[in-house]
Amino acid sequence: MDFSFNETQLEVQKLANQILTDQTSNERQNQIDEQEDRFDEQLWGQLAEAGLLGTAFSEENGGMGFGFTELCLFIEEVGRRVAAVPVVPVIVSAGLSIQKFGSSEQQQRLLPAVAAGNMIITAGLSEALAECPSAPASTAVKDGDAYKLTGTKIAVPFAHKAERILVTAKVGDDVGIFLLDPKAAGVELTRQVSTSHEPWFEVEMTNAVVEAGDVILVGSEGVAAAQWIAQRSVVALCAMQVGVADESTKITAAFTCEREQFGQPIGAFQAVQHRAADCFIDVQCLRLTTYQAVSMLDGEREATNEVLMAKIWAGDTGHRVSYAAQHLHGGTGIDKDYHLWRYSLWSRHLEMYLGSSAMLLAELGKQIAAGNAYAE
Amino acid sequence: MKIEFTPEQEALRKELRVYFDKLMTPELQEEVAAAIGEGGGPLFWQAMDKLGQDGWIGVGWAKEMGGRGLTDIEQFIFVEEVMRAGFPFPFLTTESVGPILAEHASARLKAELVPKILGGKMIMGIGYSEPSAGTDLMSLKTTAKKEGDEWVINGQKMWTSLAHHAEWIWLACKTNFDPEVKKHSSISIFLVPTNSEGYSCSPVHTLGDVRTNATYYDNVRVPADHLVGELDMGMMLIFSQLNRERLSLVNSGAFAALFNQVTDWARETDLPSGGKVIDQPWVQMNLAKSRTGLEALRLICYRQASEMTKGNLPMEDASAAKVYGTEFFVELYRHLGEILGVAGVLHRTSKGAVLKGRLEQLYRTASIITFGGGTNELQRDLIARGGLSMPRAKR
Repeated sequence: MDFSFNETQLEVQKLANQILTDQTSNERQNQIDEQEDRFDEQLWGQLAEAGLLGTAFSEENGGMGFGFTELCLFIEEVGRRVAAVPVVPVIVSAGLSIQKFGSSEQQQRLLPAVAAGNMIITAGLSEALAECPSAPASTAVKDGDAYKLTGTKIAVPFAHKAERILVTAKVGDDVGIFLLDPKAAGVELTRQVSTSHEPWFEVEMTNAVVEAGDVILVGSEGVAAAQWIAQRSVVALCAMQVGVADESTKITAAFTCEREQFGQPIGAFQAVQHRAADCFIDVQCLRLTTYQAVSMLDGEREATNEVLMAKIWAGDTGHRVSYAAQHLHGGTGIDKDYHLWRYSLWSRHLEMYLGSSAMLLAELGKQIAAGNAYAE
Repeated sequence: MKIEFTPEQEALRKELRVYFDKLMTPELQEEVAAAIGEGGGPLFWQAMDKLGQDGWIGVGWAKEMGGRGLTDIEQFIFVEEVMRAGFPFPFLTTESVGPILAEHASARLKAELVPKILGGKMIMGIGYSEPSAGTDLMSLKTTAKKEGDEWVINGQKMWTSLAHHAEWIWLACKTNFDPEVKKHSSISIFLVPTNSEGYSCSPVHTLGDVRTNATYYDNVRVPADHLVGELDMGMMLIFSQLNRERLSLVNSGAFAALFNQVTDWARETDLPSGGKVIDQPWVQMNLAKSRTGLEALRLICYRQASEMTKGNLPMEDASAAKVYGTEFFVELYRHLGEILGVAGVLHRTSKGAVLKGRLEQLYRTASIITFGGGTNELQRDLIARGGLSMPRAKR
């Protein structure tokens, strides 16, 4: 039983924390928010240069060859600074999936450029009211060596900048995983405005052609592969939520020690302390369930229930901590000159993306009913 | 990060599971259910004898003191398995007060009491709380004054659990009356035999059917060597005793077993309208909420045990475990109880009781855990101070 991280892992965490802390001053973030796309390209380049974008890519793919745990520790730091960098969609949902299931040609064509910060790839995992990428409503039909995809993906981050978008589609009774070229005929991108200001797109596919070289896999293994992708993406979101919620709690505690009312810091009031203490406990529960799931996935172990439970905690903790942080800040928290508002928005984004608590509780309930989720 | 037990720890768990399954005969289960969490019946004492002979009392004590010298994580496994089996193990006497007594009591009392504790022959009552001293323990009023070679004790204690089965009370008394001296340097611990003249005990019957007691000390005289440790330094002993109690305060094993029992019941039980209880979406929802909360509890407990083994459990983490665990139990009983329907509020002795009425009873006993063992408000104060660097709250 060991809940600590090893030296390499701690080094990755430290490196990520240093760069992200240095580069995300409130002024800097304000500038980024003025842009059409909330994306800090300079920071993205620095993360690439430090090797962090390739944390979990193999050396052949231009990475450092570390595992999912190291990557999630990096992602937690991204959350801690609510940095404007799309690490989860680019590196996890698209990158790791291509490394796992893609051909060596696909890996070589895309991943080294991604690790170097020169190319964006992304993933379209959500459809309206069909948020599980292993059960998409979109379809793909074989056409010679190519496939033609029809359907609509929503909330696709950075689709406009992406060289390829990883999508899933039904192929008969199976599921296929494809690399969609957003510039291909039959693909229409429409900008969506998300609560966190991450640039999102609706990707409408009407007989959009995916050439043979961009087919990752089609067949009976498709559902399991899509679940593999979804699980890593979900847990990466949880790790990011750990950072967001932990930092929100710390910001709030520090604020209440400064803010004085009735002649004393409000943090000296028990009612205030107890609300903050509840945030501390919530963050602990989220952290523990998240890193349990991280370490199980890192070891390629079956973790269906553990992933569900981590994301349920990510939703609940995100919601509760965000509102407690705002509440304890009084008006300061909603003032856009202060930084807490970004944490609140990202908390909500992470709560809702790839499955809300209620949806996943229902999912877990089914597992329990089927006799697959007894407690240890 | 590796959230798994070692093969040796797994083997210990298996050994304990088999051992306690055998120990908990249906007759003993029945005796225990009638006085939940209390023990004290004839079959209980038989089982204690056996536990003593087999070396399962004092597992956390150093080997040279006659214990097993188990690490904190091994003790945690022990506690989990005992709680899972439902045996009312007197942890407070054997694992919490016992080792402190073995270290600090006078040589004469050590020689007399340690073998009794390790042999399963004795339970102690803890006399801390008073009618007007609970969370603010240091304001206690029971006094001990030296007269010649004796201490003369006067006062009243409240919630002296197990006193009616106890041969000895581990009693906190005020011994320094100098108003200049800080409260925490004015209290001492004494060992008081329950057959002393001037001692009396009257029952307090509680919501959860657990009997506790008020105990009275009317010029009770004990020899000088019944003082434990240094004069006026009793709070140190109390703190170290409370620290040792952490491992038994919250754990997940028994609750996992309860969750699994209710899940099995819901999967097997037919609804009159057709289908099984578990087919109902709200039942699945209640179970899913319970399961998700339980998972966090399991990890919190394991982490606590693992950090204690390494000797670096921060105060705020220990407090977070206590608050989360106890408040979760209350929710768990509610969620699981709802699944049983109105039959879930039938007493275990009633016709139609479900799962032996356990949830009806547990729901009633749960109210003590959020304030017992250090009230959750105090724990939250500690979290805010230790974990979030907030100022000390005014009390």
